[in-house]
Amino acid sequence: MKRPTIVLLAGLLAAVAGYCGLFFHGTKEQREMLRSAAPELSWLKKEFDLGDAEFEQIARLHERYLPRCEELCQRIAAKNVELRQMVTSPNVDAKAVELKLKEAGDLRVECQRNMFNHFLEVSRQMPPEQGRRYLQWVHQQALADHDMAQRHAVHHMDSH
Amino acid sequence: MKNNDIELSALLEEWRVTTPLPPRFNEQVWKRIEQVDVTSASFVDTVREWLFAALARPRFALAYVTALLVLGSSVGLLQANRKAAHWERELQVRYVQSIDPYHKGRP
Repeated sequence: MKRPTIVLLAGLLAAVAGYCGLFFHGTKEQREMLRSAAPELSWLKKEFDLGDAEFEQIARLHERYLPRCEELCQRIAAKNVELRQMVTSPNVDAKAVELKLKEAGDLRVECQRNMFNHFLEVSRQMPPEQGRRYLQWVHQQALADHDMAQRHAVHHMDSH
Repeated sequence: MKNNDIELSALLEEWRVTTPLPPRFNEQVWKRIEQVDVTSASFVDTVREWLFAALARPRFALAYVTALLVLGSSVGLLQANRKAAHWERELQVRYVQSIDPYHKGRP
């Protein structure tokens, strides 16, 4: 093979090697997170700079929180179904509807309280500065400017 | 269809071109074809000859390999940053969905 051809190929090889090297090095951390057992929690660990002990504690809290959240969502959905049946029945009992509305409202508040308590517990496992940042962020994502429980309930009613 | 073809063939056979061609028409056509061939071949050859002569010079060869290495690395780094940010956003949404299962993932 002629020398210019070798140089030509060497240049192309260098470009490919440079691309692959930098790409794989630059995405190493994210690829490791995606391969982990709970990628979203791995992201939390990285984002809020958590140590291993803090991370394990938060993962435990996360696992404990999920079934309670689901149970409350189902109770809100059931309450909304009852309410719909009462409102669409031929003889609407205003007092009974009022009571049911109050029960549904109480459940939504309980759901939000449960959610907020979880956020608070998680934030307490973090270093103080990160904990504050987490609370601020998660509040913006899950509680602020939208009614979480209402959405849960609507979703459940739609799926029934 | 078949009848139409026969009729068309008959019509074409009857057709006679009466308009005279411009003077030296054939010669002009061949001249233009030759010119196009010569121009394109010479351009490719010139570029190839120049590139091979340049690559034979050690300083140019080194600069060429370095430039491609830098170019490849830069594109790789840019793509890596973009992809990493995309994956992180995706994981962030997944976390919010896990604590708020009906979260629709606002941008």
